[in-house]
Amino acid sequence: MSGLAYNTLVVAAAVASVGFAAGVVGSFGVLRRRALVGDAASHATLAGVVSAFLVTGRRDLPTLLAGAFVAALAGLGILVAIRRFTRTRDDAATAIVLGVSFGLGIVLLSGLSARGVAGAGGLEHFLMGHTAALTAGDAVTLAGVSAAVVLVVWLFLKEATLVSFDPAFAAASGWPVPLLDYALVALVAVMVVVGLPAAGAVLVTALVVIPPVAARQWTERVAPMLLLAGAIGLVAALGGVAASAAVPRLPTGPTIVLTAAALFAVSFFFAPERGWFARRRIDRDVALRLGSGTLGPDEDRADVG
Amino acid sequence: MPSGISTPTLAHTVEWHDVTVAYGRRPVLWNIELSVSAPGIFGIIGPNGAGKSTLLKAALGLVPLAGGSVRLFGRPLAAVRDRIGYVPQRETVDWDFPVSVMDVVLMGTYARLGWFRRPGPEEHESARAALERVGLADLADRQIGRLSGGQQQRVFLARALAQAADLYFLDEPMAGVDVRSQERIFRVLDELRRDGRLVIVVHHDLRTAAEWFDGVALVDMRLVAAGPTEAVLTPENLRRTYAGRLDVLDEIGAAVERGGRTP
Repeated sequence: MSGLAYNTLVVAAAVASVGFAAGVVGSFGVLRRRALVGDAASHATLAGVVSAFLVTGRRDLPTLLAGAFVAALAGLGILVAIRRFTRTRDDAATAIVLGVSFGLGIVLLSGLSARGVAGAGGLEHFLMGHTAALTAGDAVTLAGVSAAVVLVVWLFLKEATLVSFDPAFAAASGWPVPLLDYALVALVAVMVVVGLPAAGAVLVTALVVIPPVAARQWTERVAPMLLLAGAIGLVAALGGVAASAAVPRLPTGPTIVLTAAALFAVSFFFAPERGWFARRRIDRDVALRLGSGTLGPDEDRADVG
Repeated sequence: MPSGISTPTLAHTVEWHDVTVAYGRRPVLWNIELSVSAPGIFGIIGPNGAGKSTLLKAALGLVPLAGGSVRLFGRPLAAVRDRIGYVPQRETVDWDFPVSVMDVVLMGTYARLGWFRRPGPEEHESARAALERVGLADLADRQIGRLSGGQQQRVFLARALAQAADLYFLDEPMAGVDVRSQERIFRVLDELRRDGRLVIVVHHDLRTAAEWFDGVALVDMRLVAAGPTEAVLTPENLRRTYAGRLDVLDEIGAAVERGGRTP
């Protein structure tokens, strides 16, 4: 096996693990109805990547991702502050942080390329994702962080489920709800950052949102939903890597998102019970039973609705 | 106050001392001074926006107090959290959440389990017993969205039973609930009372209040009156509580005077 092929395989495995972890962590973001939080964090990362390069003069992946993580946390911090100290609502605050931080990232990036700063080439890959440039060492870093994140979610599965489902009950029974909330958001931020090289700042958020939403179609329990979301994220990530390996100039992010979207479409239409076709069949069945009088207005009508 | 043997510590089971709560600059509760002792079923009654739920949340530490203090079993909340069960309003959660009836009831055992430990046979046993008590044992594996409103409310009650508490706070447990579930819920509350527990219920339906509660507090941002149900639910007190909302009131007041029967 040639060195190049080996590198491609290692990178593919790492990106697959990133896709898996993003789906797992993203499930709690979706269940807690915080899907847009990842969006604000991901758009802030670009400014972090460029700043990390400007400050350190290095462009190795860990340095750039550390910068991205700091920027993501800063963006989320500003989001919390806007919500807390102004009367701005969640969606507006998210849009403000997202837009402003991304604008800053683009200005910094354009400034670098306009002035032809030496060694700045390649930073633009963080915009749309570009896995071909990753080394085996980078791949190990990404896979390692992804594995750690999945382990943390597994450890706190009970607590995360409780807080996502019923925060008031959790707080009343003594759980530190704000702390657990921040921890979940921080995990989403970590996955947004390690998803950056593969999916890019603009689209990485889709990697933590689409797979969970698709997975929810197939199951009524949390643990299977996490596993399935992970599997869908994994397949989407591999799809992206394969496409950009086949078409050299194709960025990875858009193909990952489109693969995930295709899996979502299948889930939306064909899932048993929650799928569009299944729901149509159930509606028809209910109408028939109502017409024939076999379904009365008793307590159990919730069964079929 | 409802009659009955007071707790061994001599303190009242729940005491709100001069409690004031504000959301932002808008005060919702003013200088509430109220004590209730076990055992019994105690109603908190008042119009919409009167701060009834806030009064519960103040006792549970879910809203910051702008003034005053709350003591439970004569002690601060943090020392006695494991003796308290809570049933939040049904609409506060997403019933499409991917959990089964059993999963939700098991959440009542989580505080006992602490960090990282998962529910074992013992927890499943107590959750199943709680489901038996509310009459939902055969629906344990069903996703919670596939239940009627009354069944969902009973799931929440079962979760509180799984907390194995001495003091229960229920926020509007009868709202949007069918008659069969209401009767079942009340039967469970009655059992808790017989076991010496105190159950505090936020309630909006005056017609059932006289029938169910040993004692009530009438609240309209301030405490209007509190004490044994028949002494408190007078037309005069109700008029003061529901001031400006009088059209339905004379009718209800008359019903209460007749002994709590629906007109």
